[in-house]
Amino acid sequence: MSVSDDQAAVERVLAGDISAFEEIVRRWQSPLINLAYRFCRDRGRAEEMAQEAFLRAYRALKQWRREAAFSTWLFALATNFYRSELRRIPVRTISIDDVREPVDPRATDGGLEDEDRDLAVRRAVFALPAKYRETLILFYFHEMDVPAAARSLGLPEGRVKARLFRGREILRTKLPQLLAVPRLREA
Amino acid sequence: MSEVTTREGGTMKDPEIDRILGAQEEVLPSSGFTSSVMEAVHREASAPPPIPFPWKRALPGIVVATFALVLAVVVGIAALLHAARGGISLNGATVPSSMPWLNWQGTASSTVGWTALALIIALVSVKLSMRLAAGRA
Repeated sequence: MSVSDDQAAVERVLAGDISAFEEIVRRWQSPLINLAYRFCRDRGRAEEMAQEAFLRAYRALKQWRREAAFSTWLFALATNFYRSELRRIPVRTISIDDVREPVDPRATDGGLEDEDRDLAVRRAVFALPAKYRETLILFYFHEMDVPAAARSLGLPEGRVKARLFRGREILRTKLPQLLAVPRLREA
Repeated sequence: MSEVTTREGGTMKDPEIDRILGAQEEVLPSSGFTSSVMEAVHREASAPPPIPFPWKRALPGIVVATFALVLAVVVGIAALLHAARGGISLNGATVPSSMPWLNWQGTASSTVGWTALALIIALVSVKLSMRLAAGRA
């Protein structure tokens, strides 16, 4: 699907052909649900949030300026909604100070299961202050593309980089063993 | 610590963080998701447009209320200034001698007078709004 496909579908919707919006939904449902899931870690809620994001996009379709890609506009709208929704009803998280590395001694010699370690890091991300958490989520959602993350967040790239740096720094402080020691298994 | 090149053209340390957070599980939309969204969109499209605020009808009331508020503030300030120089006393408050109409009911029945005025204004506003609402229906 190309940028012009999006534009053509939008033009048809704006001309009164509501069924053309289904093309947009089919094209973007997976990214929007996955983005929501990264914010809330709940499949049901992710779909609800994505549905509301699509509805808001439909209502605001006239406001899409053609200079930006439709996907950029859609992600920015969805990100904005997801952030406000999660501030309204937050995901149950623990404090970053309560995040502990697994006490299993095998953690430092590569014996700890990857899943446990990944889970500990993801929990730590969720326990970060909102601005760092959201920036990290967007950065990895956009496959480590800082400009794309900045556009979705509506922030300058410099600020996104600063937040990434600070967020990673907090993670490193809280999970020093997991993130600093090279794994023997990979050596 | 090794470094990985990112799309921004620079390098990012923490390849371990990148590896863990970059490889997230993919969630597939449920089978009824598209139809559910489209139902909501069709509902939205068929819903009547929101009723615009009746500025034409509300404007006179807003103007009168604003005028009354400004007048009350001016009178209050004038009364305070007058009190500082010694003016007419009205139940503890003072009224400038340049505004005798404010003292229409006299000092003895001032409370009753003001209460009655407030009630009349309230009654008129209620009647007016009911009439406007009835006219709209």
